[in-house]
Amino acid sequence: MLYPWHQADWARISSEFSRLPNAWLFTGMAGSGKLEFAEHLAQALLCDQPLADHGACGQCESCRWFGSGSHPDFRRLSPIIEGEEEGKEGKPTRKLAQIKIEAVREIIEFSQLSSHRHGQRVVLVEPAETLNPAAANALLKVLEEPPDDVLFLLVAHSPQRLLPTIKSRCRQYPLARPSHEMALAWLKSQGIARAEIELAHNGGAPLFNHDPALTALRDQFVAALAAPMLTGMLDMAELVDKQKLPLAVPLDWLAKWLHDLAGLSLACRLRYYPEHEDALSSLARRARLPELMRCQSAVTTLVPYGQHTLNVRLQLEALLMDYLKVFA
Amino acid sequence: MSYQVLARKWRPKRFADLVGQEHVVRALSNALGSERLHHAYLLTGTRGVGKTTIARILAKSLNCETGITAEPCGVCAACRQIDAGRYVDLLEIDAASNTGIDNIREVLENAQYAPTLGRFKVYIIDEVHMLSKSAFNAMLKTLEEPPAHVKFILATTDPQKVPVTVLSRCLQFSLRNMTPQQIAGYLAHVLEVEGVAYETPALSLLGRGASGSMRDALSLLDQAIAYGEGDVKEEGVRAMLGAVDCSYLFGLLRALADADGPLLIREAEQLAERGIGFDSALSEMAVLLQQISMAQIVPQAISPDEPEYDAIFALAGLMAPEDVQLYYQIAVHGRRDLALAPDEHAGFNMALIRMLAFHPLNQREPAPAAVRAQAPLAAHAAVAGREAMDQARAKLAQQVGGTRTPAATPRAQAAAALAGSNPAPAPVPAPEPEPEIEPEPAAALPLPAEAAPSIAAKGAEVADDDADGREGDVLPPDLPDYAMQDDDEIYISADELPQKPAAFDGNWLALVAEIGPRMGTVRMLAQNAVLKSWQGGALVLAVPESFRHLASRDYQDKLRTVLAEHFGHTLELSVTVEETGAETPAMRDARNRHELRQEARVVLENDPVVQQLVREFDATLLTDTIQPAQE
Repeated sequence: MLYPWHQADWARISSEFSRLPNAWLFTGMAGSGKLEFAEHLAQALLCDQPLADHGACGQCESCRWFGSGSHPDFRRLSPIIEGEEEGKEGKPTRKLAQIKIEAVREIIEFSQLSSHRHGQRVVLVEPAETLNPAAANALLKVLEEPPDDVLFLLVAHSPQRLLPTIKSRCRQYPLARPSHEMALAWLKSQGIARAEIELAHNGGAPLFNHDPALTALRDQFVAALAAPMLTGMLDMAELVDKQKLPLAVPLDWLAKWLHDLAGLSLACRLRYYPEHEDALSSLARRARLPELMRCQSAVTTLVPYGQHTLNVRLQLEALLMDYLKVFA
Repeated sequence: MSYQVLARKWRPKRFADLVGQEHVVRALSNALGSERLHHAYLLTGTRGVGKTTIARILAKSLNCETGITAEPCGVCAACRQIDAGRYVDLLEIDAASNTGIDNIREVLENAQYAPTLGRFKVYIIDEVHMLSKSAFNAMLKTLEEPPAHVKFILATTDPQKVPVTVLSRCLQFSLRNMTPQQIAGYLAHVLEVEGVAYETPALSLLGRGASGSMRDALSLLDQAIAYGEGDVKEEGVRAMLGAVDCSYLFGLLRALADADGPLLIREAEQLAERGIGFDSALSEMAVLLQQISMAQIVPQAISPDEPEYDAIFALAGLMAPEDVQLYYQIAVHGRRDLALAPDEHAGFNMALIRMLAFHPLNQREPAPAAVRAQAPLAAHAAVAGREAMDQARAKLAQQVGGTRTPAATPRAQAAAALAGSNPAPAPVPAPEPEPEIEPEPAAALPLPAEAAPSIAAKGAEVADDDADGREGDVLPPDLPDYAMQDDDEIYISADELPQKPAAFDGNWLALVAEIGPRMGTVRMLAQNAVLKSWQGGALVLAVPESFRHLASRDYQDKLRTVLAEHFGHTLELSVTVEETGAETPAMRDARNRHELRQEARVVLENDPVVQQLVREFDATLLTDTIQPAQE
């Protein structure tokens, strides 16, 4: 599947089919469909009867295998979500998503055997940032000099976090970001409610988890932020904790809110919460900047622990107290 | 044969083809020529400078059928097989995926057998920094004294991770980064042979973009050829690298100097539309700020043929030097926080807004100014502090004892107030008269004489306590701040206190002050309770609603035990929850502290030295950070 904003990129990539590198690194903003682009490319490379524009036919045996996720010459390297198998008390576990070295060793073995269908073999690594250091290093040799007809596709939204030794072995390809109109039109065609607001909240990235329950919670959270009161803050911390959400989710909401608050008070610009412009601008008049900056850095400090097993309620309460001080 | 990327296709096959690294090549050639060969080499250097390449050429030199030579023939069976990567006596081991001791054992077990075809069995262990500790140690003996037919070549980007015991057994060569000129020259050679049209400035851009690594350069070149659909043009390369055109940065900094927020954010949006990486934008910005700072401090250090000479000096005139330093800091930190922001654009915006927030025009509060005024005041305090200590202590004792004397040595008190804590300048209002301080309740009530020193000491502790609490307290503003005062730090040795059992005289405040330090966990209850009634050995305490949790049976029992120890007999005790409005010990302490601080402020404002500082250096006094200091 190819998103409308990737058509130009596809045309360019397909013109490079005569000069395939050993590894492509696709970069671009999160939530803009890089993975789908890479999958599309992988399917096209494996297809038995590619179309004129090198796209996959969707009819042949290879495409059908690919569609059912069982193509023998295709491997996907992505972090295992360990929460799913843990049915105990229905608690979703909060764990760091990482690609481990065992998975990379399997890939190395796969690439050293000959192909099933006498054609290309493709390894898709997504997202490449989740390779842990041992795994990333283990990938280096095979990434640089893979056996014939093995192609690596790496997908990363923050390439500066990759090892320089990995980046140096790949041909980087920055994928285009969708324009606002295109993203909006696509969202509307998907029948998503309040497309405009959702798009703004996700910073212009059209692909996000659309979860009405979460949206409702976010609205509640933001409403509490808009009226900074001690009781409201404590209730929010409790409410969020009850939902068993990882800390990353409320942190993200809060970080965006602070960004808009600071943006409004100094630059009259907001990005994530256009529907709350009135509330934000009246808050912006009351906000004390040094405290606002302090609160923002507190949020930033916690971001690396977004999926950690920290006590969400405690952390959130502390942050919201900081937030209250902005208006004290 | 399918297409091979340039970096692989152009991997040098002879020492003569190598770019840079003359120092390594010369040492190796001489060693090969005179056959003075070490048995283990360690090649280090950043990515793509030729570690693996040199290791392979060395393997060829050792095994070439023409004899050990610095110029392997490249045509004999051994050379061709090594180039194709299937020579039996060359074992290239990927240490990053075979990290364990078992992998290494397997390798070393085979080392004792003679080579099948060639002269030497060559082990190239690449990415050796990823070996486990036990794997390294398992190697040590073989690495030190290998059989005569074995050569080890280790290669790594990260020699710090290799144990010293391994380092000391190897001959180490560190490969240098290549200069942009060397890279550009080599790229030109590659393109000529490949028959691709190019523009020379594009190559120097690529040379700089590769930051010293030839493989990066060749990967970028591949990308550039694809991007330019067959040609390498300057414009295309610039767009592809996302190189930040300096004009954007100048626009950003000018908007910043004018404190024009909307323009600043608009410029940032333009950057995003152009697809320029925010990460590189911030790092380039830091470089530019560094140049501006140079222009301000050592103008002659910027050479006049710098392309942006005029623009740099124009900006240098617009911004205050200390602001430039601050912006530089924010840019550097902002780069680190970029990955932590909701998205990169937000992170970049936030860094810009942060710069703007500390712009002189936006300082709604004088807080940042404190940083500047701090130094002279602190120095003054340090000098005056010591001599003032004794006087201040004497004064405190007097004050708590109830015989307040007018402030005799304002200077000493000011210094005392400053000595221990952050000096805190703030705008100084006209000196106000000494505030009327109500008589101490503790002193007004009949007070056992021996309790006085302990209260004096308590005053000291309270001040300390306040200083400690200031750092990280995240109190909700609605709760009174005495409510959660940290008791752990208050500590007075029990031995110093009078131990004789006394009869309770109905003065709860004095009692708590006296035995408080010995109470342990129930101190919180005692501190926040009011004595409601007291009749013949039965105490009734009242705590406010917000401390309901303190009224539990557990706490009551503990308090009863403590009181029994103090008085020598058991007391009836009950605790109710109600608002009495009367003053609790905690409230009293908070009030005392507040008064002390108030007084310190007045003294500080009237101090001739401070006034002189304000007059002559335009200093400001931050009244809300003043704290009475103690030893």
